[in-house]
Formats: sequence, structure tokens, C-alpha cells
Amino acid sequence: MKRLLTIAAAVGVALSAGAAADAADRTVKIAGFGAKSGVVRSFGINTEAVLRAAARAINDAGGVKLADGSMAAMEVSFDDDRCNAEEGISVVRRIASSDAVVGVGPTCSNVAEPLFGILQAKAGDEGDSGLQFPIFTDTAIKGGLAKISEWAFRNVPNESQMYKSLFEWLASEHPDARSVYGGVEEDFAHSRFTWYKVMKTRSADAGYEVKGESKWLLNDTNFTTQVREMKRAGADIVAISAHPFTTCGVLKEMARQRVPYKVLVGLTSSSSLETLNGCAKQAEGIIIPTSFAPVNPDAVAAADAAAALGGSADLHSAAAWEIVMILKDVIESAGIQATADSVEADRRAIRDGLAALKTTTGLLGEIQRTEEGEAVKPYVYVHAADGAWVVLHDPNA
Amino acid sequence: MSDFWWNVIDPVQSVLDGVMFGSIYALIGIGFTLIFGVMHKINLAYAAASIGGAYASLVVFQVFHAPALLVFLSAAAASGVIGYIVYICCFRFIPTEMPLATLMASVGMLILIDEVVVHATAGMPEPYPAMFDDVMIDLEPFWIRGDLAMIFALSVVAMLVLLYVLHRTRLGLATRAVAQQPSAAQLCGIDQQNTNAVTFVITGALGGLAGAMVGASVGILSPLLALPLTVKGLIVTVIGGLGSIPGAIVAGLLVGGFENVFQYFRGVTERDIYVMLLLFVFLTFRPQGLFGRISTRD
Repeated sequence: MKRLLTIAAAVGVALSAGAAADAADRTVKIAGFGAKSGVVRSFGINTEAVLRAAARAINDAGGVKLADGSMAAMEVSFDDDRCNAEEGISVVRRIASSDAVVGVGPTCSNVAEPLFGILQAKAGDEGDSGLQFPIFTDTAIKGGLAKISEWAFRNVPNESQMYKSLFEWLASEHPDARSVYGGVEEDFAHSRFTWYKVMKTRSADAGYEVKGESKWLLNDTNFTTQVREMKRAGADIVAISAHPFTTCGVLKEMARQRVPYKVLVGLTSSSSLETLNGCAKQAEGIIIPTSFAPVNPDAVAAADAAAALGGSADLHSAAAWEIVMILKDVIESAGIQATADSVEADRRAIRDGLAALKTTTGLLGEIQRTEEGEAVKPYVYVHAADGAWVVLHDPNA
Repeated sequence: MSDFWWNVIDPVQSVLDGVMFGSIYALIGIGFTLIFGVMHKINLAYAAASIGGAYASLVVFQVFHAPALLVFLSAAAASGVIGYIVYICCFRFIPTEMPLATLMASVGMLILIDEVVVHATAGMPEPYPAMFDDVMIDLEPFWIRGDLAMIFALSVVAMLVLLYVLHRTRLGLATRAVAQQPSAAQLCGIDQQNTNAVTFVITGALGGLAGAMVGASVGILSPLLALPLTVKGLIVTVIGGLGSIPGAIVAGLLVGGFENVFQYFRGVTERDIYVMLLLFVFLTFRPQGLFGRISTRD
């Protein structure tokens, strides 16, 4: 009998040790994806670094609490979608066939729009065979995309609100400036949308006379004609809705042609290292609203953690940090099991948890969540000063 | 100044700017046309190699803080080396009777060079030095950008040097001989492979200079530049006449000028449509281009 008890005890110890090992080995898998090829490669590099840095911070603090009370590590993978819609859809289909419980991405709006289209439009609709996989977007910024599917969520800044506020602030800060002239990268979805639907309308709403716009293409190298149009318009405010490469080309041409202006406004995506790397001198003074700047200890810590992994925290990639932290809270409150059998249920629980959120905590303060899965994030205005982005004004202060 | 005068001055100024910038297209076009003239093959990796050379010269700029002219020469040297590598990888060992194989190999090389640049720089635009970029030559009511004037002058010098090499040196004689009658040239003791390799190096160096000029004119380098330069180079080559260097020069300036005129009158979104239409007009009504000859070779 004594021998039997010893064997039973040994088996019990072995089983409990196995269970403990299982708990320690359990992981919650987050699948990041974005552009790591081509000219937008830096976006993917930054997002991946920030995702891994955030996951590392969570794991160092003990991990994520699962439904059974055990702790699991957060594991991040990252796939390259090449900023291409077909590749993005293919990547997400592959991720959805794995045991990842949520996807974070993509970088480009031209990927996000069709990608959200293959997700189930209305959660729980049995007549819709769309993919049932939650996607939380950090970078693709074109307005209003999350409403395409109830499985799509975004943590991107609301440009409409940011530029409305910026032009109203400019009207009070520069009462002598009465007119606006735009410069737009005509073949890039985000740039076009932001000029025609956001900057142009919001500046008019703020009482400015919009004198027109000059157009160029993403690959253009010669901006003399466009800048001459700009100079002839003689507007007080020049608003450039373009990405760093052409923004720098235009700013250099503006300097050559000595375009007179009182205020220079840039696109949210240009408040990055790329612009300063390309044309810090000519960009001096450009004002851009952004949802990230290292202005408090949390934001500084996030930026430092990303830098340690070879990335840079900017308005796009910093959103990935917030997303991971939001996911941790949702996973813990939704009771995720993180087992091989619970993948589908876990995905649904995360989707429902994300949909139920009204507010979340961001690096710059509280983020409001809309019913359409979008975020209304706090923001600041930064300007380029001496080769760095410096906070010019905090509308929330 | 009244609107009427602006409407007169602006198109002329646009043509002037375009022609100046067109000298870069001419350099690229010369590269395409010279390789085609000698080997009767299209090297689609040419513009990418040119941008690759310009990127390589950034080392001289960023590490040694070399002056702009030295950076441009480094770009030419680096691109010459890349040109040789392209020749070895895509042309040297592929039989001449398989033109599609060399074409596809050069497409692969274009993508490879582009991706190497992207991975080395994370796709970030890199500042590139320029000469006279803050100078505006005032010819009231017109003006000329100092850097574009310098680019134009440098391009003209490069073209003159190339024409001298082609028509006044033994190397040029060998190149022309291989271009006209490869078998006869070989019978005369000219090493065809060696001549081809040297052609790739020389055109590579010209391309590197063009890549550097693009970087200097915009003030920054981006991997985005390779594809549009490839397309423009091919258009210039066809319009100028395949194999014709004077044709490439004239067509380069022409395309640069027309591009700006179309942009001025029809807008940037339609600009390239008209440039392509111009190409189709030439292909239909003058397929041999401006200076090309309809000829055969052995």
C-alpha cells in the first residue's frame, strides 16, 4: 500500500509539474503585418519593433492573465505585405489559419480597404462567409475604413478632427494669415484624401480662402511648375499633403523659388524621421498635428523601448504600442483560454471585447472609441525646429 | 505683371525647366541606346544600377563628407562597377540567340538592386548633395535653376566625352565595330566580350552620373526613382532611335520639355498619358525614331 501511495504521489507531482509547465508555455499569439519592402519599409520596421517592445514589456511584467488564472506570454510575429492588397489579403488568410488570436496591421490604406472587405461584415451573420478574424490597425489612416467590417478596428488618429482644430488654432495664432494653398500628392490615397476631404474643407470651415492646389505624383522629381503655381497664388498658408520624399522635393523647390508664406502645414505622416533626414533645413517650421510625441514618461519609455529594438516610435508605430496594451486588457477581461481548441472562441471574445470599448488609455492620454471601431485620439501640434520635432502646442493642455 | 503675360511666360519657363531636366533623361537614354547598339539587347536594370551607384556614393558623402563633385564622380565609378556586375550576371553567359532570357534577367536585376537599396536604407529618403542648388540665374522674366544649369552642363560634357571616346579612340572604334558587324569585328581580332563589358562599364558610369544628377536636382535619393527613370529612358531610346546617341540626346531634351508642357496645359495626372501617346506616335509613324536607321546586322 505504501508503495502504491508513493507511485500515486509521484504521478501526481509529475502531472502537476506538467500542468505548470503547460501554463508557463502557453502563449497568446499576436500576428503583426505591414510593409517591410519597398519605399514604405521603414513603416513596417517601426511597427514590428514597437509591437515586440510592447510585448516584451508585458512579458517582463509577468505576461497576460488567462481565463483559468494562469499567466501566458505574449508572442508577436510579423509578416511583410509589401503594401500590396493581394499580398495583404494572402498574409491575413495565412495568419487566420494559424493559432494567432488577433492581427495588427496593415501599413497601407490601399491594403486595409480591400482586406477589411474580406472580413465578415457583421459579426455573427451566418449568411456571411467572410473571415472571422479580428484586425486592429495601427497605421493605415485613410478615413472611415473600420466601418467596412465589425471585425476591423483601428487605433489611427482622426485627421479630420486634428486639422479642424489646427486650422482653428492657426486662425487665432496668425490672424494676419487669411488664405490657404495646397500641395497634394495626387496618386497616393492618403495624401489625396487628406487634402481634398480634410485640409481643404477644414481650412475653409475655419474661415480661410482656399486659393487652389498644386498636384504632383509620388515618383515625381521635378516640381518647378507646381511651385510656380504656388508662388503665383500668394497664399499665407501653404499646406502640403504628401509623403516625405516629395514633401522634401517641394520644400527644396519652394526655397529655391523663394515662395513667400506665413505658415507651413504638413501631412500627419510627414512628422517622422524621414522628413528630417531628407530636408531638415527646408522643413524648419512646418507644423503638423500628430497623435504621438515623447512628451510624458510613458511615451518616452515606449519610444526608448522601440529604439532598443531598432525602431522609431512615431504617430503610426506608437499606435501599435497602445494596441498591444489595449489587447492585454481585453484578453484579460474577456477570459481568453489560449488553447489549440479555443482559437475561434478567443478571436470572437477579443472582437467582442474590442467592440465594447468606449475608452482606452493611450500614450498621450485617453482615447475615445467610436461605435464604428475607430479611435478619437489625443494629439499635439509639432513643428520642425533645429532638426527635431518639437511640441508647439497641446490643444488638450 | 498681368495674367496675360504670366500665361505666356509660364509655359516657356516650363519648357526651359523641362529641357534642363531632360538632360538627365538624355544620359539615361544614351546608356540604353549604347548597350542596344552594341549588343542589340535591352538592359532594363540600367536605371536601377544608376540609382544604385548614386546610393553607393552616399558613403563618400556621409562618411568622408566629400564635396559634391567628388560624390558625383564616385556615383559614376560605383555605377560602372554595378554595370559590369549586371553584364556578368545577365548578359555574359546567356546565349545571344535568347534575347528574352537576357531581358528577364535584367528585370530580375532591376528588382534585386531596388530591394538591396531598400533594405540598406529602410526605404528612407537620403539627402544628396547638390552644386549651386541655391543659385537662381535671373534672365528676367525667366530664370534658370543653378543646379539644373550645372546638371545640364555636366551632362553635355559627359556626352561630349562619350562621343570623343566612341569616335576618336581605339576603344570607340572597337565598340562601333562590334555594334555594326560583331562577327567581322571578331575576325579582325576585336574581343567581343571585352568590348561588351567595357560598354557596360562606360554606360554604367554615365548612368551613375545621371543617378547622381537626379539626386542632386531633387536634393534627396529614394528607391522610388528607379522605375520612372527606366520608363523615361526607354521612351527616350525609342523616340531618339534605337542605337543612336545623338537621337538619345535630342529625345531626352525633347521628352523633358514636352513632359512639362503637357503638365502645364493638361495637369500632372494626364502628363504621362501624353508622353506615352508621343511614344506611340513615333512607334507608328516613325518606328526608327528621330535618328535611327532601319537596318539589319549579320
